[in-house]
Amino acid sequence: MDIDDILASVDRGAGASAESAAMDHQLLTRFWVAERAVSEVLPWPTVLMDRMMDRVRMQIESIEDLAASSADVPTNNTHNPNLNLRLSILQTDLARTQYLIRSLLRQRLAKLTKYSMHYLVKLSGNKNPLSQSQSQSQSQSQATPSDSVPDLSTVTDFTPLSENEANFVHSHQNLLAGHYSGSFMEAFPRQLRRLDDNAGGTSMIQGPDTKESVFVRCLAGEVPVIVVGDEGEEDIGVTMRMGDVWVVRWEGIKSAWEKGEVELL
Amino acid sequence: MSYYDVDSILTDAQKLPCTFELEVPGLGILEGNPGEDIKPGTRIDLPLWLGEMLSIGARLGTSRLVTLDMPPALSERVMNALKADPRTVDLRALAPHFYSLSERILELFEEEEMVDVLTETFKRRAAEISDHAHNPRGAVGDGVDFLRGLDETERQLFRAAHDRAKEMRVWSGEAKKK
Amino acid sequence: MAFPLPRGITPSEIAFLAEMEMVTVVPRQRLEGLELLGGPVEPLVPPRPSTPREYYPPAWLHPDPLSLILEVESQHQDYKNAFSPPLPLPGQPSIRDNGLAPKARPQYTPDGDRYFPSPPFLPQNTAQMTISSRDPPALPFHWVEIGNMLLEAASDDLVEADQVRRLLKDLREIRLSKMRAGVDALDAAAVGGGGVALTGVGAMEVGEERGFLSGVVDNLRKIGASKEQARREQMAEQRANGGYNGTQDEEEEEDYMEF
Repeated sequence: MDIDDILASVDRGAGASAESAAMDHQLLTRFWVAERAVSEVLPWPTVLMDRMMDRVRMQIESIEDLAASSADVPTNNTHNPNLNLRLSILQTDLARTQYLIRSLLRQRLAKLTKYSMHYLVKLSGNKNPLSQSQSQSQSQSQATPSDSVPDLSTVTDFTPLSENEANFVHSHQNLLAGHYSGSFMEAFPRQLRRLDDNAGGTSMIQGPDTKESVFVRCLAGEVPVIVVGDEGEEDIGVTMRMGDVWVVRWEGIKSAWEKGEVELL
Repeated sequence: MSYYDVDSILTDAQKLPCTFELEVPGLGILEGNPGEDIKPGTRIDLPLWLGEMLSIGARLGTSRLVTLDMPPALSERVMNALKADPRTVDLRALAPHFYSLSERILELFEEEEMVDVLTETFKRRAAEISDHAHNPRGAVGDGVDFLRGLDETERQLFRAAHDRAKEMRVWSGEAKKK
Repeated sequence: MAFPLPRGITPSEIAFLAEMEMVTVVPRQRLEGLELLGGPVEPLVPPRPSTPREYYPPAWLHPDPLSLILEVESQHQDYKNAFSPPLPLPGQPSIRDNGLAPKARPQYTPDGDRYFPSPPFLPQNTAQMTISSRDPPALPFHWVEIGNMLLEAASDDLVEADQVRRLLKDLREIRLSKMRAGVDALDAAAVGGGGVALTGVGAMEVGEERGFLSGVVDNLRKIGASKEQARREQMAEQRANGGYNGTQDEEEEEDYMEF
């Protein structure tokens, strides 16, 4: 046995056991529905997605093994008459999971590109507070649109994105800035080449609207809807009871959602 | 106002009546008299974004350049018509972005009663929009006029309701795709 | 990146979800157990002696409970403007024990977080539903989809399939008209901390009306934004002056209505 296989079998451990497969599938499904329901990018569930991707890889391997064994004995179908049925069930199940993951990722990328500057600014705020003041010195010598794309080189905390998504949105914005620059912004005066301008009271940085309404089901005994004001959570509004379905503001139940006390529909 | 939203930009371009409080040399171009001055008391319709900018002094209580008035789309007369029967008013003719305009105006003027009238108007018309959106035969009779008079916000609402209802019928096999 | 779907899952995505519901089938042939990504599947063994049935419908998909639910939806005073009560979640007291406090029973995820299961991952559409006989019949969350799919795929195994079909259609219509009549109550969801209850609504019914309802709520919020802002400032002022005692708040809570 290869050393990698031994390590892999240890890695599979408890997280990838058959019993937890059903639970992870439910968690992924619920997360997908939630991501489709709100306007902001939800925190990337790193460990869940790592487990899911491991499972998908293993499932593809076992489907390949099964398909290979059927190819070995093309004429002898009495050996396992249900082989084709089993293969097609496994493949359908795999395709459904892949659909969930793909739809989830596409939805997240759609939000990320729509609000790219918002998330880049948010990420650059995650960095170690000791290593700041970089962006200020840059703003003096504003020359190209890409200079207003935040620098992520010192960022290690990518919340709410995955590292891949952070890299994606950073490259995306640089490409976009380069494209703007090449096609029209170069002709602008230097001070009008920013992509994060705030002049005239209208910010170029647009973020998701957290006041948008969502449909939720209350899963815990009781969950209050929070009134969110300018200074954060200010007050308590109506109370939802277990099994209730409500239309409420996303910001009012976001912290309950993070605790798993409500689900989005 | 959001930077990349075309509806928001178009809303900002809708005009509202402004009265100049001070003489402004050389700004006669706004009145169609290039080179001339603008006299105090001159009334001109200016786009929302410009009128708002020029009125900032007024709202801060310092020297005011212009004072803003309610646009005709939100006049007393319109409010009364909306109170009488919101469904018969052609909002689109008043302002293509009627509600977006109202929202911006309500940021500038304190008009609690107008909020109530518009809220009631929007709800009554929304119920009507929903009925039309769920009618698989499309608009008929009076409905055609009503739907023609929807403002941009209401059109988007109609589209949202209509698309979902249609997708539902396609899924359940009651309607064919496309 | 082009992603053409609107916010909130659409009818076809909701149907995809409903396909994750468990149903009760009678195996015709042997099949060994399978480890699916959706969880393990037990080995299939055909019963002996064999039965002509292929499928056992859930208890609710039958003319009797459906007529009863339809009667509640259309006649009962308490549900004139509301949906009939849904199937309770695990640990939720039944409608007959209205006074009892709910005891939500969490499972734990591999990461140690609490997880409360909900449809489509509850046995709401299997034949062995373990509800006591004193519970009134209720519709499962995915009733529209499951009803539609089973009428198509297994109508031979349903009792009076045509009657079931008619009842489902009547239920759809009466509930849809309730949903749409509720526009008037929607401003309760347009203020911070407020909301509108749609308890008992089905997944597909949410999907069908989502774009419209959230469009109405979000626009009512924008129209009322200046008023909400003014009220917040007023309350902050009261609080700063020490005059705030919460009574105003309670008054506002009365605003919300069951839909």
